[in-house]
Amino acid sequence: MSLDTAIETKHIIKKYNDFVAVNGVDLKVIKGECFGLLGPNGAGKSSLMKMMYCHSVITEGELFVLGLNAKKNFREIKSKIGVVPQDNLLDSDFNAIDNLRLFAKYQQIDDYTAAETIRSLLKLLKLEDFANSEIETLSGGTQRRLAIARALINSPEIIFLDEPTTGLDPQSRLWLWNFMKQVKEMNGTIFLTTHYIEEAEELCDRVAIMDRGKILCVDQPRILIKQHIGDEIIEFFSNPVDLNYYLNRLKEFNYEYQVYNNMVLVFLKSGQDSKKIFDIIKSEKVTVRKPSLNDVFLKLAGYNLRDE
Amino acid sequence: MNNFFKTTLTLAKIGDGYRYIWYRNFLQFRRTFFVSLFWVILEPLMYLGAIGFGVGSYINNIKGQSYIDFFFPGLLCSTAMMVPFFEGTYTNFTKLTFQKIYQHILLTRITPQEIVFGEMLWATSKGYFGVLGLSLIALFLGLIQDWHFILILIVLLITCWLFSCLAMLITSVAKNYDSFIYATSGFIIPMSLISGLYFPIEQQPLLLQIIAYILPLSHSIDLCRAILRHDFMDYRLYLHISYLLFMSYALYNLSSYKITKKLIR
Repeated sequence: MSLDTAIETKHIIKKYNDFVAVNGVDLKVIKGECFGLLGPNGAGKSSLMKMMYCHSVITEGELFVLGLNAKKNFREIKSKIGVVPQDNLLDSDFNAIDNLRLFAKYQQIDDYTAAETIRSLLKLLKLEDFANSEIETLSGGTQRRLAIARALINSPEIIFLDEPTTGLDPQSRLWLWNFMKQVKEMNGTIFLTTHYIEEAEELCDRVAIMDRGKILCVDQPRILIKQHIGDEIIEFFSNPVDLNYYLNRLKEFNYEYQVYNNMVLVFLKSGQDSKKIFDIIKSEKVTVRKPSLNDVFLKLAGYNLRDE
Repeated sequence: MNNFFKTTLTLAKIGDGYRYIWYRNFLQFRRTFFVSLFWVILEPLMYLGAIGFGVGSYINNIKGQSYIDFFFPGLLCSTAMMVPFFEGTYTNFTKLTFQKIYQHILLTRITPQEIVFGEMLWATSKGYFGVLGLSLIALFLGLIQDWHFILILIVLLITCWLFSCLAMLITSVAKNYDSFIYATSGFIIPMSLISGLYFPIEQQPLLLQIIAYILPLSHSIDLCRAILRHDFMDYRLYLHISYLLFMSYALYNLSSYKITKKLIR
């Protein structure tokens, strides 16, 4: 394994009794990058990430974090990473600053260093006014910031964030995005899971789309869009009667398309002409737009709703 | 079955992370000191007054001693049982399930084994706090006049540990708080009634006597009384201590194994 690899999984599998949550994942995360794991609820994102931060037993396969084997050296790994879990996992018996102090103790950081770090983290994450507040009195956004401060207490080499902005108000989300960009600039490695496409597009250098325990694709968002969708998307509605006619014509001209209920999405690759399509389609509701990661996601993972 | 013995008899490797678990609980204890003081020391003290002195005043002689002298070692054992038991069940179950504090601690380099060991050590400490508090008051009341009492304190320490392990085991299999009601009303309370705390075990039908000696509390009580009688030549004294040591060891391993499996899946 090369020195610039932060995380490497080799055909990793996670089973809960008979249920296969992660089904043979091979991934490589490079140091200094922000890597996003994108997928619908129940895709296996958290299960995969939990194995990475050694919170869960690996059923099969190999996993290396910072060159250390997750099956054996989980103690060393845990001392070099920071984790912000989905439900924050704060200690509700203590106030904010005591949460940080205790966590520093658990990580066996000496008291002097811990006090210094905590002071600067409280400032960095705008938590100074809440230092002595009990956990349950804090808002969702503040609790998340505290969880982030806690994750940074040991100056980690990798930060894991599980759905970092789920349940936050727009202001908190924006603030968090900016914060993560700052971390990126400081050359920190970030691994996050999300089901918000904008988040992945905004923050991630590379994205893996995951569904039903498998990785469907991995690359830069821009490249994924180009590869799986193309340059543009033409969207139109058709009644069920005309639908077959349109689809046949689109096939004739070798256009790639996808149908969702009565909506047709035509993917225009570079070099393909959109004029022909306007000749074919007589519907009035035609829109041309730039494709996003959302389209890649829906194309690969399908349009069906998922259970939690 | 082979596996069962392996998990029950092999001691887990423990790093020093358990100290921080103990420290966390100590901080919380310091904050809720008066609540703890009340039920850890004052509750047994009420029993000492009501049963030991109150009921005891009607009993002139029980196995050649005054009732209070008979009752007091038993009360110490029952305190060494009750406090770690409640700390290890209700409190730890809340931390395990609702507060998810163990999941939180597992984000750090502390291992599940260290958490379990730290928690048991804490429940033991809290039980021992009750035992020492009660002993101190008893000293002022003139109930302790024999230096052999120091030996009893060792037995009580083992008893605290044993019941904190037992409590952790029950926590590891509990589904909800109702499980602890069964464990308390169906096990702990009946055990305290048949184990010779209030009257001699021999007073009971044979079946109850047998059950009493299968369970740990009777051994702890008998051992304390034997020490105070200076019965060091009696082989049963050594059977009692062997039983307590073995149970402490086995229950610790079993509960550590069960909780660890529950924490990291």
